[in-house]
Amino acid sequence: MRSALLRGEWPAAPGWPRCLPGDVVCRALRVTPRPLASGARATTSPVTPRAVGASGSRQGGSAANMAEDSRGGLACGRAGGPQYLAHTPSRRNFPEYELPELSTCVFHVGAFGELWRGRLRGAADLSLRDPSAPALSGNPGVADSGRDHVAVARDLGCSLEAAAELSTVCSLDKLKCLEEGEDPEVIPEDTDLVTLRARKRFLEHREETITIDRACRQETFAYEMESHAMGKKPENPADMVEEGELILSVNILYPIIFHKHKEHKPYQTVLVLGSQKLTELRDAICCVSDLQIGGEFSNTPDQAPEHISRDLYKSAFFYFEGAFYNDKRYPECRDLSRTIIEWSEAHDRGYGKFQTARMEDFTFNDLNIKLGFPYLYCHQGDCEHVVVITDIRLVHHDDCLDRTLYPLLIKKHWLWTRKCFVCKMYTARWVTNNDSFAPEDPCFFCDVCFRMLHYDSEGNKLGEFLAYPYVDPGTFN
Amino acid sequence: MDFTKTILPAHKQADCETLLSRFQEMDSVRFEDFTELWRKMKFGTVFCGKMRNLEKNTFTKEALALAWRYFLPPYTFQIRVGALYLLYGLYNTQLCQPKQKIRVALKDWDEVLKFQQDLINAQHFDAAYIFRKLRLDRAFHFTAMPKLLSYRMKKKIQRAEITEEFKDPSDRVMKLITSDVLEEMLNVHEHYQNMKHIISADKSKPDKALSLIKDDFFDNIKNIVLEHQQWHRDRQNPSLKSDPKDEEGKREGTAQESQRCERAESLAKIKSKAFSVVVQASKSRRHRQVKLNSSDSDPESGQGQTKATKKKRAKPAVKSAERKVSSRSKGKVRNVQKEEKSLRLSMPVITEEEEEHDSFNETEFTAPKRKRKH
Repeated sequence: MRSALLRGEWPAAPGWPRCLPGDVVCRALRVTPRPLASGARATTSPVTPRAVGASGSRQGGSAANMAEDSRGGLACGRAGGPQYLAHTPSRRNFPEYELPELSTCVFHVGAFGELWRGRLRGAADLSLRDPSAPALSGNPGVADSGRDHVAVARDLGCSLEAAAELSTVCSLDKLKCLEEGEDPEVIPEDTDLVTLRARKRFLEHREETITIDRACRQETFAYEMESHAMGKKPENPADMVEEGELILSVNILYPIIFHKHKEHKPYQTVLVLGSQKLTELRDAICCVSDLQIGGEFSNTPDQAPEHISRDLYKSAFFYFEGAFYNDKRYPECRDLSRTIIEWSEAHDRGYGKFQTARMEDFTFNDLNIKLGFPYLYCHQGDCEHVVVITDIRLVHHDDCLDRTLYPLLIKKHWLWTRKCFVCKMYTARWVTNNDSFAPEDPCFFCDVCFRMLHYDSEGNKLGEFLAYPYVDPGTFN
Repeated sequence: MDFTKTILPAHKQADCETLLSRFQEMDSVRFEDFTELWRKMKFGTVFCGKMRNLEKNTFTKEALALAWRYFLPPYTFQIRVGALYLLYGLYNTQLCQPKQKIRVALKDWDEVLKFQQDLINAQHFDAAYIFRKLRLDRAFHFTAMPKLLSYRMKKKIQRAEITEEFKDPSDRVMKLITSDVLEEMLNVHEHYQNMKHIISADKSKPDKALSLIKDDFFDNIKNIVLEHQQWHRDRQNPSLKSDPKDEEGKREGTAQESQRCERAESLAKIKSKAFSVVVQASKSRRHRQVKLNSSDSDPESGQGQTKATKKKRAKPAVKSAERKVSSRSKGKVRNVQKEEKSLRLSMPVITEEEEEHDSFNETEFTAPKRKRKH
């Protein structure tokens, strides 16, 4: 397993969602309502531990001395793993490639942030304030430029005249390539740039072949997702993101394995702050399996919304670097990781000792992680999402600065929705079996068509059928 | 659906490299000269041409990341300054709103600060001013790694090639004393010695009055060069191990690899030259000894023989060079398999090459011997 990981072939390992048991969508499509007892499902199959093992096999034993459930103890104790002892403390948290272009070595998120902040202390790089300089004197322009020159001269150790000259020599006017009034959308005729010639060829080709030239819906959607929160400021100054805060980009893969996703796994990208708790991310992850409604409701269709899985089965865990972070906020939460740990310890399976901790006790700053490495989020007993942290950086003035908007969804896979069989227009909300009115089994209906077809005006059930609420994976589009 | 792949990275790279190589030709680090090139090429227009928002963002991000690569070692000081100007230009002419930022990885930052200090110390105020301005404009994202990382399905990883022309020569001594220079030196030396023989009264032994240089000066300089090579290599290797911070992941890994290969190649070249020299020298000595012992063979035929063996020698030398290359690549492959994880190949060539050289020398030695028997 280890060598397979090192060769970068991990998707072939059993950890890839292809092997996950009864993933949500398939379950929904097959329409096999099962007793949705969280605990019962948690103990179902040994595949689950293998899935975790695939991503966890690299940490063998490094966390053996970790104190369970103690926040500081876990955060610091992890760092004492044998393979990191050789490095100095600061070096250990320098993100470096473990596999070039794929993943880094393990480092501590908070310590990494501290390393950056230590290097940038005293400089204005991290300032989140607006750049507009306060104009106090009568002629601010002259005063400002004068002050600028002094600052430049001080920083560079040159004379004031040199500083003044620099600001003209290096001004942006010198980079202007377009004459006044030239349209930046038009590619100049006489260009030498390879890039522009390629783009021109492409545009000409598009003009010939496409009748309507506009952005497609998905492109517009993707751009809006990416940029909708950019530069947003909170209404309440208390909700402002702090200077030097870390932003993590987290890719959460869907547990859907359609054939067309063989090559590209669909995922959503969420931005979280380093100071946010793991539970905040957990609550922000939208997955249809949380919205599943278990049971047959052909006699009482109005009662269906009361039985959403999210409210019934609250257990979940994240797995990062040899530790399971279980959601224990509610008394009914179970330790979903117990089965996996017991499975791994029952025989010597070579995964070392897994640790457990409470998800609500940990922020992302407390974690030890590898960037680019596949971890796991598991909820609803066996709905497993591979989680990859792709990037960590310091917050920038142009980022969304309203911390209440984090975790911030910036990318989402566009899923096809299953349409109502009757109107062929609206997304299906119901699915029926053994339906005397339906030409197919199972058959999908939107709410309106379902009720029109199966109930009289008083709401009495007509004919024979079994009806299950259906939540489409494309619901979040 | 991919909306953003109308422009390939290769196109952008070609443009950036054209600009940078023209800047290199100007032999200047002045921003004025850079802007002149920039305007002449109308470089600011790369962002033109009906890019929609999403494509614009992606394109700009990639362009900045591309330019950033030239701002770091192993590129020459001049290229790095050029890259800084290029970043400044691209950052400020981009059409994105808000502007796309330049990603700086933590491990590169110390290098960047060192560069800024070098700029100030060398009083390249325009470059230092521009870097300061970029920082004040908050043009940077301070990140963990240069790019976003994620495991992928069997996708081929595009390796960033190092552009040789822009690279800081790792060894300036090697640049000065190439194997060609050594060969030339040897030729001149031989010619000089021959001349001395010819003009001396006793043809077999040059006049004492003409003995103005040390006879073994060529051997000395060859040894010194080889010694320097060895030293340079030794210095490079432990520094690799002890300083993982400066190691820039794969990009630098390959750089070092190629550097090492290059060094090994030049080393091999020098060695082959040097060894052939040894052969020649010893042979000529033998030749002279022969002449001293028996006076029947005349110097003319001896010279003709040398020429003939020289011609003969050319072919096996080429062959063995080929062999060397193939064995080297084999060695590399083997090494890659062994420690492909780290990509830090530890000098796969040298030992094998020495073996090669031994056999090479044997053929060198045996060929003339056989000839003499006839």
